[in-house]
Amino acid sequence: MNKEMRDLAASSIKTALSAGADACRAGIDSQRFVQISYRQRKAETIKEASTKGLSLELFVDGRYSVQSTSDLRKDALKEFSRTSVAMTRLLAEDPFRTLPDPKYYEGRSEADLKILDPGYAGFTAQQRHDVVRGVEEGCLAAAGEKAIAVIALGQDTRAESVLMASNGLEAYSAATGYVAGARCTVQDEGDRRPAGFNYQAAAYRKGLPAPEEMGKSAADRALAMLGAKKIETATLPIIVENQAVPNLLSGLLDAMTGRSIQQKQSFLLDKKGQKIASEKLTLIDDPLMPGGLGTQAFDADGMAAKKRTMIDAGVLNDYYINWYYSRKLGCEPTTGSPSNLIIPPGTRSVAEIMKNLGKGIFVTGFIGGNSNSTTGDASIGIFGQLFENGRVVHAVSEMNIADNHLKFWQRLTEVANDPWIYDSNRTPSLVFADVVVSGA
Amino acid sequence: MDSITRRSFLKTSATAVAAAVAASFPRAFGDLADAATPGYFEREFGVTDALCRRVLAQALSKGGDYADLYFEHTVANYVILEDGKVNRAYCDVGLGVGIRTVKGDQVGYGFTQELSEKPMMAAAGTAASIADGLAGTPASRFTELKTENYYPLKTLLTSIPLESKLPLVQAVNDRCFSLSPLVVKVSAQFHDEQKRVLVVASDGVRAEDLRPKNYLYAGVVAEKDGRRERYSWNLGGRQEFAYYTPEVVDEVAKEAVGRTLVLFDAVQPPAGEMPVVLGPGVTGVLLHEAIGHGMEADFNRKKMSTYATMIGEKVAEPFVTIVDDGTVPRRSGSLNFDDEGTPGQRTVLVDNGILTSYMHDKISARFYGVAPTGNGRRQSYQHFVQPRMRNTYMTAGTAKPADVIKTAGNGIYVQDVSNGEVRIGEGDFAFYVSQGRLIENGALTAPIKDVNIMGNGPKMLQNVSMVADDFAFDHSGAGYCGKGGQAVPAGFGQPTVLIKALTVGGVKA
Repeated sequence: MNKEMRDLAASSIKTALSAGADACRAGIDSQRFVQISYRQRKAETIKEASTKGLSLELFVDGRYSVQSTSDLRKDALKEFSRTSVAMTRLLAEDPFRTLPDPKYYEGRSEADLKILDPGYAGFTAQQRHDVVRGVEEGCLAAAGEKAIAVIALGQDTRAESVLMASNGLEAYSAATGYVAGARCTVQDEGDRRPAGFNYQAAAYRKGLPAPEEMGKSAADRALAMLGAKKIETATLPIIVENQAVPNLLSGLLDAMTGRSIQQKQSFLLDKKGQKIASEKLTLIDDPLMPGGLGTQAFDADGMAAKKRTMIDAGVLNDYYINWYYSRKLGCEPTTGSPSNLIIPPGTRSVAEIMKNLGKGIFVTGFIGGNSNSTTGDASIGIFGQLFENGRVVHAVSEMNIADNHLKFWQRLTEVANDPWIYDSNRTPSLVFADVVVSGA
Repeated sequence: MDSITRRSFLKTSATAVAAAVAASFPRAFGDLADAATPGYFEREFGVTDALCRRVLAQALSKGGDYADLYFEHTVANYVILEDGKVNRAYCDVGLGVGIRTVKGDQVGYGFTQELSEKPMMAAAGTAASIADGLAGTPASRFTELKTENYYPLKTLLTSIPLESKLPLVQAVNDRCFSLSPLVVKVSAQFHDEQKRVLVVASDGVRAEDLRPKNYLYAGVVAEKDGRRERYSWNLGGRQEFAYYTPEVVDEVAKEAVGRTLVLFDAVQPPAGEMPVVLGPGVTGVLLHEAIGHGMEADFNRKKMSTYATMIGEKVAEPFVTIVDDGTVPRRSGSLNFDDEGTPGQRTVLVDNGILTSYMHDKISARFYGVAPTGNGRRQSYQHFVQPRMRNTYMTAGTAKPADVIKTAGNGIYVQDVSNGEVRIGEGDFAFYVSQGRLIENGALTAPIKDVNIMGNGPKMLQNVSMVADDFAFDHSGAGYCGKGGQAVPAGFGQPTVLIKALTVGGVKA
């Protein structure tokens, strides 16, 4: 526990209570970060700073507000607390607004979750520059004479947070994070300049691939888009690449929150316990996964984090329900939002799967698009590669897929063996049958 | 003018509304002092010219061509209604200074949330680390930048008491429910943000601004025969609080409810290439994606944009003129000056079909040897400047909207757009149509919804075949643009326009 942060949280709560709040929850976030980018073999940007912020949730006469500030001057904070409490009194009462029953704070994991890199303090400016230079060199080498512009990036953070509530919650978390990668633009025919990018993130520095390798993968992704064109509108199998899967999942997740359910804005309303996807889809939320980028032993309500199977072989098991919406819905809370999302991997590689899939599209990214959480209707642009009998025919762009989530996930026929491990979402590539892909 | 609108609000309000507003009248509207009196950061935080000069000297201590300080104090409020009651409020206060050192096209950046000398000098030291030469000196005196004011405030948004905002939100909710028995849920919100900005630059510019931003929002869920649909609407911009009259409340509610109910009749959107007609207003998102981002000068000086070699070329028919404009009164993307102290202005991107100018910040303007265009923007003091759009729109043509639809023959008509994206290197873009109509035999027929539309920027420009005379801006106060991890308010506009062919991402092959 960081004493200075703990003291600030405790004194903020004390000030709020003495200003008339019945209960209060205070969150302090403190972060140090460094970000470096390179272009044309020199540093293009260097950015470094520390931030600190206070967020106060006030419960006053059955009323509720959230106040946050980065103005932490003592007098300013006192005035902030006083006016905040007074302001909260003007709102309408909300009988569902309370701090959680403290029993949900209990059982918090004490295990070392491997999210605070002990080597962080020893990461020198020289090493930071070396990583980004390595990424740039790897990218330039792989893109060769096709390269027009390469921007390599490295960023690292050390973040601490304290969450404290007047009914006995005291929680602390400290984590490090590293991001590195590149964006590579290459020359195609005419005025087309396809770009590929690849950013990897990890809690520990040793969790990232070698810098040159990260640079090369960005170049490979750009080169793979050369000569892209659209094909005729058709019904085809598609393989969605591991990194692109979270974008698809977000349409499901938006409909799984307590707010969406309670506000009747969810196509998954009344679907708990029902089969909403093919049996190939299992979705696990694991906030305690060691080294995960979404790992934390407690959630935003301070409730002890637990591993949960949200979708089990296609059956919707659980919603994301925080304390407030659990009271509105009259059900048990789970947790308010996703942590680390895991789709358990299958057994075959994408290359193996492609071989027996005939003609299809390997979707490596999305463009535009959206998803209607109330009805499940979704439509999104895709790009990637057209393949036939295991071989890439040509790159595709300016094409689109559209469906309703309740139908689309039923088309999931296989999960590949390649989970992307550089994100809080550990998703393998997914195969869908009979997808309408619109193009020319 | 504003005060007249305000009075008419009080007179015509429903009694419950009027009572609550009247009770707070003296506090809210008694203070008519000029809300934008300069010297805010000196008065509140002791930021003097002498201090700025010392910090800028530190930022230039290792050389560099230029340095600037960006002070910001932002107060943002959200008042939210759910299940019939205004029962939550969020308030966020952001305070800090960002310090930037520029050497050629290289940028060093540090920031601090404490506006005192020691942390500012430390942040300036971080910024200075981008350079490695002989120390430079900032201008010996700063000259206050005088500009037009495109969003004057008679009353500070921070002096509007909560009591005045609550009835607005409640009234939207009540109006939505009164409009249709099919409405089952309403969420309503009033958001206001007041951003105080001070830019002090080593080239002697000193510029201070007060930027308001606000909107009134309603989200409606309706139920019919076991089906549910949802839609939302908002009105706002860089408005005075007095803008939010009962007429505005009524319009927000009517649009939110009306647009939700129409969805029950929606048919499956088609898939494939076809003519697309964009209705007036927010559909200008098309331009934002198809040409706007590609014309931001950083992407061009780095040769990453498909437009990098097209300046001076004919890219569209002579009746196509596209501008990016910071001078539109009270629109979300308007700026008296940008975030590095360049005055707000109107920049013509496509002039009667000819590609004319990129959008510049100071770095790219220097690179191209042109004057900056006032497009240097940042999300906050925590972010460095990038060339960004303001309000991007196509000017009116001469065709009649009905003729445009007739000429399209068979295709789709776009009424509302929720989001878009572009791959600037290829120029491939997409935008999401949340509401539209089929065009069959030259006439608007069944509603459609939730369909993504794809195209290629340069190809799309060549395919603009008709432009109507019904230009409109979007009326939202919630329009945002994201780039490089930074979000800034942006505006959109367009008359009715016919694009000969775009790829419509429907489900009916």
